[in-house]
Amino acid sequence: MKRGELLGSLEHIILLALVRQDGNAHGMIVRREIEERTGRNLSIGAVYATLERLEAKGYVSSFTGDPTPERGGRAKRIFHVEAAGKRALEVSEQTIRSMTTGLKGRWRTI
Amino acid sequence: MSRCSPPTFACRLLEAVLPTPYREAILGDLIEEYRLRTESTSRLTASRWFWSQTCRSVLSMVWSSLRSRDCLISISTAMGVYIVMKIFEHAAELAISKWVAPQPTTYVVLAPVVFLTSSAIGGCVAARIRRGATKFLALMVMITVAVLIDLKVCTIPVPWWYEFGFLTLGPIAVIIAPTLFGRLKQQEAVT
Repeated sequence: MKRGELLGSLEHIILLALVRQDGNAHGMIVRREIEERTGRNLSIGAVYATLERLEAKGYVSSFTGDPTPERGGRAKRIFHVEAAGKRALEVSEQTIRSMTTGLKGRWRTI
Repeated sequence: MSRCSPPTFACRLLEAVLPTPYREAILGDLIEEYRLRTESTSRLTASRWFWSQTCRSVLSMVWSSLRSRDCLISISTAMGVYIVMKIFEHAAELAISKWVAPQPTTYVVLAPVVFLTSSAIGGCVAARIRRGATKFLALMVMITVAVLIDLKVCTIPVPWWYEFGFLTLGPIAVIIAPTLFGRLKQQEAVT
């Protein structure tokens, strides 16, 4: 991750959802996890568009699973968090933490 | 539509619009979730959810494609092919009206043949350069024909279905020709 380059909010949430699934999950599981935890009803297209972006950045990798009858004979695309993705998450968390440190109680004065 | 199958038209729309790498995965995910929702709620609620996901996913994918400039490259390819297609069409029409059939009635018969041939060739060329460009090319053909009908450039009196044929068959020729050509090539490779 380049210096100063932060994860977008959706990228951040999706990477965290993948980590919550032990680093491996397909799009619908990621969507469901986000909806259950944040109440945000994302479209599956938005999830895959973000995962595609994360894959292009090298933060996640994907492989095609076996097709199943419940999915109308279509294969799953399983995403896996890469080491670069974990690093990007750490950097983002660290940046947010350092920017929010000492701000407790100051929200109301702004 | 059977009890557990999602809305067919929504599936076709997704198949046509979604980019190839994730098409199968997205459709599979939606079908799986649709079946779960049909069991836990009702078919109507599940269908409503499926349609909402379809519309929002199409918008997300189009926006993402625009951001990644994929869409712009396809539009540029379609525009380039369209210009070449129109030059070819104009030259053919000029040759027909000058040497082959100077009478307006014969021209009316031959014009659709030239138009459909150039549309089919244009579709094949666009698909050869960039697969996604055919959709934009079909859209361009449709818009041009609609504008020409509106401007009423055809001075020879023709029935309504003649112009309507251009409007519908032109874009269809652009999309179907490369598919048929691709299948023929596949069959040749097998034999």
